[in-house]
Amino acid sequence: MNLRDKLRAVGGSGGNQSRPRTPETEKRDCQHLAVYRPLSEFPGALEVRRETVARMSRTPLPEAFDPRRILYLDTETTGLGGSGTVAFLVGLGYLTDAGFEVHQFLMRDYDEESALLRNVEAGLNRFDMVCTFNGATFDLPLLESRFLMNRFQRDCLRKPHLDLLQVARRLWRNRLGKCSLGRLEALILGQPREDDLPGSEVPQRYFDYLKTGNAYLLEDILRHNAQDIASLCVLLTHMADMYDHPEQIPYSEDVYAMGRALERMNHPEEARKCYRLARRGRMGTEAGQALAHSYRRAGEREAAARVWREMIAERRGGAGPYIELAKYLEHGRRDYAGALEMTERAIALLSEARLRQDAAVQETENALQYRRRRLKKRLASTRKKKEQKTDGTGNDVQGQ
Amino acid sequence: MNVTQLADQLRQDPRFMENVTRWEVIPPRPARTADFPESLDARLRAVLAKRGIHALYTHQAQSISATARGEDVTVVTPTASGKTMCYNLPVLSAILENPDARALYLFPTKALSADQVSELYEMIEQMGVDIKTYTYDGDTPAAARKAVRQAGHIVVTNPDMLHSGILPHHTKWVKLFENLQYIVIDEIHTYRGVFGSNLANVLRRLMRLCDFYGSHPRFILCSATIANPRELAETLIGRPVTLIDDNGAPMGERHFVFYNPPVVNRQLGIRKGAIPVTRAISGMLLKNGIQAITFARSRLTVEVLTRYLKDMVRDPLGNAGRVRGYRGGYLPTERREIERGLRAGQVDAVVSTNALELGIDIGALDACVLCGYPGTIASAWQQAGRAGRRQSASIVFFIASSAAIDQYIVTHPDYFLRQSPENALLNPDNLYILMSHFKCAAFELPFEDGDGFGNAPGTEELLEYLDEENILHHVDGRYHWSSEDFPASEISLRSAAEENFVIIDITDPARHRVVGEMDRFTAPMLLHENAIYMHEGRQFQVEKLDFDACKAFIRAVDTGYYTDADLNINLSLLDLEKEERTERGYRTALGEIKVTALVTMFKKIRFDTHETLGFGHVRLPETDMHTTAMWWTLPPDLVEKIPSDTLKNGMMGIANLLRIVCPLYLMCSPQDIAVVYQVKSPITGEPTLILYDNCPGGVGLSQKAYGMRDMLLEKALQVVNDCGCAYGCPSCVGPAGEVGQDGKPTAIRILKELIM
Repeated sequence: MNLRDKLRAVGGSGGNQSRPRTPETEKRDCQHLAVYRPLSEFPGALEVRRETVARMSRTPLPEAFDPRRILYLDTETTGLGGSGTVAFLVGLGYLTDAGFEVHQFLMRDYDEESALLRNVEAGLNRFDMVCTFNGATFDLPLLESRFLMNRFQRDCLRKPHLDLLQVARRLWRNRLGKCSLGRLEALILGQPREDDLPGSEVPQRYFDYLKTGNAYLLEDILRHNAQDIASLCVLLTHMADMYDHPEQIPYSEDVYAMGRALERMNHPEEARKCYRLARRGRMGTEAGQALAHSYRRAGEREAAARVWREMIAERRGGAGPYIELAKYLEHGRRDYAGALEMTERAIALLSEARLRQDAAVQETENALQYRRRRLKKRLASTRKKKEQKTDGTGNDVQGQ
Repeated sequence: MNVTQLADQLRQDPRFMENVTRWEVIPPRPARTADFPESLDARLRAVLAKRGIHALYTHQAQSISATARGEDVTVVTPTASGKTMCYNLPVLSAILENPDARALYLFPTKALSADQVSELYEMIEQMGVDIKTYTYDGDTPAAARKAVRQAGHIVVTNPDMLHSGILPHHTKWVKLFENLQYIVIDEIHTYRGVFGSNLANVLRRLMRLCDFYGSHPRFILCSATIANPRELAETLIGRPVTLIDDNGAPMGERHFVFYNPPVVNRQLGIRKGAIPVTRAISGMLLKNGIQAITFARSRLTVEVLTRYLKDMVRDPLGNAGRVRGYRGGYLPTERREIERGLRAGQVDAVVSTNALELGIDIGALDACVLCGYPGTIASAWQQAGRAGRRQSASIVFFIASSAAIDQYIVTHPDYFLRQSPENALLNPDNLYILMSHFKCAAFELPFEDGDGFGNAPGTEELLEYLDEENILHHVDGRYHWSSEDFPASEISLRSAAEENFVIIDITDPARHRVVGEMDRFTAPMLLHENAIYMHEGRQFQVEKLDFDACKAFIRAVDTGYYTDADLNINLSLLDLEKEERTERGYRTALGEIKVTALVTMFKKIRFDTHETLGFGHVRLPETDMHTTAMWWTLPPDLVEKIPSDTLKNGMMGIANLLRIVCPLYLMCSPQDIAVVYQVKSPITGEPTLILYDNCPGGVGLSQKAYGMRDMLLEKALQVVNDCGCAYGCPSCVGPAGEVGQDGKPTAIRILKELIM
């Protein structure tokens, strides 16, 4: 057996027909394709404002923010990562006054990678910020790796980056679960895609293309990529609209989630606005709690107490609002009698729930009983002090 | 009682001494020291001085100087000779000098890495400098990984993680690769066979990436005593090394006692078992308060002995906890606890497989008992080295089992005491291994026309082959990775089998818990259904083995027996590489074969008496292995003259002789090769004696055996001629009960014919 046969035996394959070789040519540019879409497909996209985007993420934004200076980027790759994974197609999209342009750079073979990266670098350098879907963990590190392996400078990648997947997850993870771009198009933007190529089939399509040279194999990929990029712009516009007009969001879950997101991004006032809007919806209890907590964190304890009282009036939140009020009254107002009343009402509420034999309920009740004893003691000692103050002067004299 | 008193007492005891074939006293050795080398940073000297260290042992000083001269160094030292200083000092020195410098530490196991890092931390803390040492392995939390990649001066990892977690993602490790100054590999003697062949290729990949990033790291390698440390090191890293093997560390007096259990049946030549004798001697050490480690050769023996010793001290105060078992398959936390107990002196006796042979820090113990010869001189010395304090005396008992090799050692102690230990062989160019790593390398960085891969042969053909297979894609002078696969995930460095079996205790139906794990090759032998599985001396019965899901479910039982499975081996020819027809008309050949292993049944064996109580069937899929083999057929005219039963007995005898002789002259461990005989072999169609490498692809032992094929037969004949037994014994052709009355003369007759 010669080495070749042995390799076959080891590799467990019967060999393979070789593909037609690409003719030797001088170093060429990679393939460049462009798709132009009318502005009418992107209503509102040009009106996205800096302060809106600033509320979505912590990314530092360019001072002179302009929706036309955002570069939308998406890659198609030969695998899921590691230094052997290559971005064979990079699509770059941007808004103009006339519409939306997508420029796709495709390497028809590996020797065009360097040219592809040059184009991407040039593209990146012409814009102020990048917008991707999952770019923080996938596309940008991958490009970084490709730049490095081709011994390119990597400065062009260090610019403000908005990863819409992260924004989307904060908004919709609880309601939708998985937040793939396809699902968002269908469930949020109301534009389900038809005949779309599953992402998992992309690498094999490309390898087949390399083997056969049949460019039709790439058609689906190119369309898929261009559509992804256009969707990024539509999605960002949609998100911006939500952030600007939370009162028009149909799902109270989304309003509440947006409140949480705003709070995490350190915009508490905007967050409270969302919570207040969400008070009447399905997430009303959570929204109420979040609103009260938000007030408390801001030091506005009266405002928080007001919310707890409203919740009690609305019969929302079970024993929670009573407990919170008890805390507030005891520690914030030193109103021990009021606190005791709230504590006892909470205990009464819990005893209704006690049938469930829930350990957590039991624990809460124990804590409440403890609080009750303490409050009673406090009340007793305040009464004593008062008594001493009113008729105890004689005693004091005696003591002297 | 201390060791010296015990030794005196035993030497006065005629009943003990009658079975001692040799009592060797190795005199104490004073320390030999040298001044701190010039290259050592002043801050390091200050810290050492603070610790009361004002000079280095000679081997430490030599290795530090050689490293400073820019040489790749291999340090060979026995256990507890301060070898970590040989690498920690140059590495720390380099980082103190240049804070950008980076070092990579490789240890064969996670446990060892944990140990070494804690020692490094101490020194760094005492210096009060900002040198970041991180462990990067499967247990490193995802959140911490980024910091390790960016900021770790010293990254401590294992070959597996380097292979699958670091190299394929090298672009995330730019800082490390650009500034890599030292690569430290400890315990290189463990990298033989498949593991070593894999590591050599991982290092080829690593050096290829260093080239790409423009760094030129140097190697500091450490090895326990083996015959060929230089050859091993040079094969691993593919370039020449400076060998430092002049140990300057002191050692107290050491007693080496060779003990051969008494013959209990003179007719059959049967000796008292090694296990009961070990139980008595380890028990005596335990009773006398001498901290000891007992090494047993199988996991099963470890469990049996642990149980015996625990029973001996069991009392309501929980003293049984002073005796611990230790082996692969215990969970890491349990192992760490035992190691701590040994260091702190809370554990008086530990019974272990060779798992504790490696440099895991358990401190130095007073005594060591080897229950049976561990198979190689190198391991025997490693295990014996666990006993040996720098100042006071220590004692090692070697208890021979009835196995032929044990008997050879106990009756020829000089072979052990004077012979150089074994070679560690590896074969980085094993085609299976090479190709797997070649793929990984191509994934990591495209090959260019004319590129080599370390010193691997046939690079061009490999590239063309992978191109044809559409795994690589050749364009413009480069071969690009062109597959969705992540090739590193397809190889396990330690064996051909990738996944371990998990062992789950289902005794308590409400609380199933994982108690251990086992590799895929061993699992059919020890975890088949109805097997008695022992864990820390407790017995469990395997209720179900889910072979596809790699899970074994066990339930606690209390039986008076244990189980032992029978392994069936089938061979078939894949490729004939060389064949020679001798004048005597028989053939010798070298080639590649497929070995199919199948467990079909098991025996139930009673504790204490070791009698067989019954049998059971095992239904499990077979496992395949492709490997290298060499074989001898027999002269046809001779075969005609011998009745077939007699021929079979003779061949069985020769196979047994070759099993004794081959490891000694191939300088390998007995488990590394297998010798089988087939009266009608599917390989040749004739009566055939076959020797093969016991790992996929082989590591070169068959080739070596083929080269010395006549000499091996001569040595086999010499052993059987020299043996005084009448009809065969375990030390030559095997006991007459197995090879029959005609086995020995037939073996001699055949061997003579073959040699003629």
